[in-house]
Amino acid sequence: MTTVALFGVPFKFLTWQTGLLLGAIAVPSLLLLYFLKLRRQERTVSSTLLWQKAIHDLQVNAPFQKLRKNLLLLLQLLILAAVLFGLSTPVANLLQGPKENIVLLIDRSASMKVVEADGRSRLEHAKEAAEGFVDNLPDESRAMVISFADRAGLECRFTNNRHRLISAIQGIEATDAVSNIGESLQLAVAYSSQLIEDAGLTTPQAASIGSAGLQLYSDGRITDADQIVLMRGTLNLHKLGKASDNVGIVAFDVRPNLERPGELSVFAQIENFGPDPIKTDVSIRLDGRLLEGSGAIKELSLGGARPADEGPDPSRPTGLSSAENVIFKLIHDSAGIVEVRIHRKDALAADNVARAPIDAPRRLRVLVVTKRSRVKWILQRALSALTVDDVEWMSPDEYENAPDEKISSEGRSNFDLVIFDAHSTDRLAPGNYLFFGAVPKVDGFGMGEMIEDQRMVNWLDDHPLIRPAELHNVMIFKWRRMTLPNHAEILVEGEDSAIIVFASDPGHRYLMTAFDLLESDIALKVPFMIIFQNAVRYMAGGGLTESRGILSPGQTLTIPVPPGANEVRITAPGGVEETISVMGSHSVTYAKTQQAGIYRFEFDDAHDTTDVFAANILNPTESRVAPVEKLVLTAGTPIEIIDADTQVNEPLWPYAAAVALLILLFEWWVYNKRMMI
Amino acid sequence: MAETVELGGSGPGPGPGGDGLLDPDFMQRLEQLEIISRKIYASRQKGERRSKRKGESAEFADYRNYVVGDDLRHIDWNIYARLDRLYLKLFLEEEDLNITVLLDVSKSMDVGEPSKALYAKRVAAAMAYIGLCNYDRVNLYAYNDAIANHVSGLRSRKMLPKVIQFLEETPIQGKSHFAAAARQFASRHTQKGIVLVLSDFLDKGGFDQGLRYLLGRQFDIYVLQTLSPQEVTPELAGDLKLVDCEDEDVAEITVSKTLLDRYKANLEAYCESLRSYCSQRGINYLLATTDHPFETLVLNYLRQRGLLR
Repeated sequence: MTTVALFGVPFKFLTWQTGLLLGAIAVPSLLLLYFLKLRRQERTVSSTLLWQKAIHDLQVNAPFQKLRKNLLLLLQLLILAAVLFGLSTPVANLLQGPKENIVLLIDRSASMKVVEADGRSRLEHAKEAAEGFVDNLPDESRAMVISFADRAGLECRFTNNRHRLISAIQGIEATDAVSNIGESLQLAVAYSSQLIEDAGLTTPQAASIGSAGLQLYSDGRITDADQIVLMRGTLNLHKLGKASDNVGIVAFDVRPNLERPGELSVFAQIENFGPDPIKTDVSIRLDGRLLEGSGAIKELSLGGARPADEGPDPSRPTGLSSAENVIFKLIHDSAGIVEVRIHRKDALAADNVARAPIDAPRRLRVLVVTKRSRVKWILQRALSALTVDDVEWMSPDEYENAPDEKISSEGRSNFDLVIFDAHSTDRLAPGNYLFFGAVPKVDGFGMGEMIEDQRMVNWLDDHPLIRPAELHNVMIFKWRRMTLPNHAEILVEGEDSAIIVFASDPGHRYLMTAFDLLESDIALKVPFMIIFQNAVRYMAGGGLTESRGILSPGQTLTIPVPPGANEVRITAPGGVEETISVMGSHSVTYAKTQQAGIYRFEFDDAHDTTDVFAANILNPTESRVAPVEKLVLTAGTPIEIIDADTQVNEPLWPYAAAVALLILLFEWWVYNKRMMI
Repeated sequence: MAETVELGGSGPGPGPGGDGLLDPDFMQRLEQLEIISRKIYASRQKGERRSKRKGESAEFADYRNYVVGDDLRHIDWNIYARLDRLYLKLFLEEEDLNITVLLDVSKSMDVGEPSKALYAKRVAAAMAYIGLCNYDRVNLYAYNDAIANHVSGLRSRKMLPKVIQFLEETPIQGKSHFAAAARQFASRHTQKGIVLVLSDFLDKGGFDQGLRYLLGRQFDIYVLQTLSPQEVTPELAGDLKLVDCEDEDVAEITVSKTLLDRYKANLEAYCESLRSYCSQRGINYLLATTDHPFETLVLNYLRQRGLLR
């Protein structure tokens, strides 16, 4: 029994075995020393005759008479008791006593990189608090460590080895990813209830019926908090951080300027999350060099942010908005990295930069397979409006009979886009294909009966292939019912059938219309031009948005492997290099994108294909660095919020040491008083 | 009176009573006293005390028949005239008394405050002075494990300086061994008389053997046991190593009330055994602690006990 209540405060001994062991050695030793090594003061007496007799009388039947009523020995025993009490690491339980199975959840999302007033990051504070918690765990408690950002990381399974727990905590590194706690809660509950080990359940099953004592070290800025239900167990939030001053880029995009070919518009939304209005400069750089001209640096004035947890505050001056959009113009003739940077020192540095790779303007090669002159005329006009440099025309027969080297080389299509008009084929080298009124001869695709007198009822107006076309006025008179594989994405649909569909498999991308181009008036209207341009740019790699290489930290990348490549060298932010073998695979998947910055994939194929991606935080939840006042989950157990500076256990050993010192002083006084008599 | 006694010798300069041993006022009072023996002894010298023998004093004692050889001067011629027979007229003989002080001068007598040695010496000086004033024979013996020093055969108060000198010059030293000293004394000192033993009797050899030697010589024995207040009520505390001042024997004690009670009980029993031994054998026993004024001891208690008159 190591927990007892004293004056209403439960306290316990963390290492009571140590105290007991030392006590078993020290108390008899003290008594032995007391008998053997007592320093006595000499007194001369006339004769020891009567004293010897008195001692003899007392000792005959009372061997421990010496110990009786001996204040000095009693005091020394008290000192020893106080020291042993201290060595047993007694603590007063100021917080709810930890359960036997504790899960430490440590947030390592971008907001935990915030540097506090003492120069240390929130994650360092979290690690320190978690280490303190582990240090104060009773011997019989087990703990596990889970770190989380966008994904959960199991740092240390359940153990009572504190050394392992602490080294697992120390090994946690901050990321730039968003914080999603759902997966880690599932893991925590499932593991702590031992259902995985004992009952052999899967993690979600175990999570639904288990319970756990969870200790969450975070600033509470958790993106998916409103989707989490914690039905069982307890969750204590150890709230970290005080800093709130931060300005960040929350949205970022690079688009071609439709009016002025060759020019890019770089769009960024800057938001101030601090309470005070600020002024800051925002600059644009290409490959690290500031652009020439006066438009490269813009000054922004932003108002103070309204605390997210409060309602509108009418007393607050409403003059300045806390968020502003900035648009830069950029003309380029080669590939590179465009970077927008806020020139301000604030709590979180990682969200002050947003980057995007841009490709060099390239010559597009398009093959059109049609035998109908009206269609040829329509497409010729459409392609001439785009910056397509090289258009080749074939009839379906010519296409089917053409030699392979004309169609493809090195296992890949020779064209950036192949357009089929009412022609279905299976001669599809890896590449991009646009079918009007047809589907590829590939498993899962097929054309059925004709559908007439139906209307378009829905379209994905935010899809890159549709946006910003407005299809209200488009008439499609009839189309065929398409049979589609599961992964196909319906962009436009009629009452009970798909009209425009996008599908992809490794190496191929298909955009298909169920209608014949001549059975619609779409070819005569603006939306056709928009969708056609989107299709050419997006599918042919020219890019509908130039910022196609932008991703969120933690997002998994799947990149097509160019023909002939055996391995890919990946350079992550900070210059970390890694080489992965890609021999025989069509795509490479990469998930280690937790840090914001540039990820470069260099394949060793004949063209030295290089793909570049930029990970940017672009997340208002992470940029709003002020810690939450309360954390509300959707349902379930209420969360107790603990200031991380609060100690879980109040160590009592200093008090024991003070008592020992006081008794020592008292003993000294008693000793001297006696000697003075 | 007690307040006038300078125990440490810081008082007035050396007078007839020595440096602090006796002061003049007290000596004057001592002159009124005389030492009484419960026994009548024969002595070799004429004195002021009645002797067992018939002698030549003015006091008539008896008649007896004349035998050839008697001194013709003692024949009562008036009786011869009346009865025509020769009778010898006998007179009482007056002789002196042997007063012997046996003084313990072992180191244990020097422990305690006020000093037992000084106390005993003052008693010895007072007794000697009383004896000298009454023309008794005064003998002083100092002993530790044997007779260390002695002066004997002193008569008349002119001898007082000799007494004082003896007491002052006798050092306090050595181990006490009363039995050995008493045996030596008994063999050397053959004259009958009063023997006053002044000692603390804290002697690991015991007291009975020594007293037995003295009893064997048929002395009129007085025993004055002197103890210091620290011996009667020890003021000790803590863990102590008690060292015997004479033989350096060690007793390690942790003072407690139980131990102190036990010590006091032992002391009481020891003194009682000495008193009991003495009373059974006709020895007069008196216990005195040194914080008790010795003038009172001499003028009151010794008189009550019949040693003085």
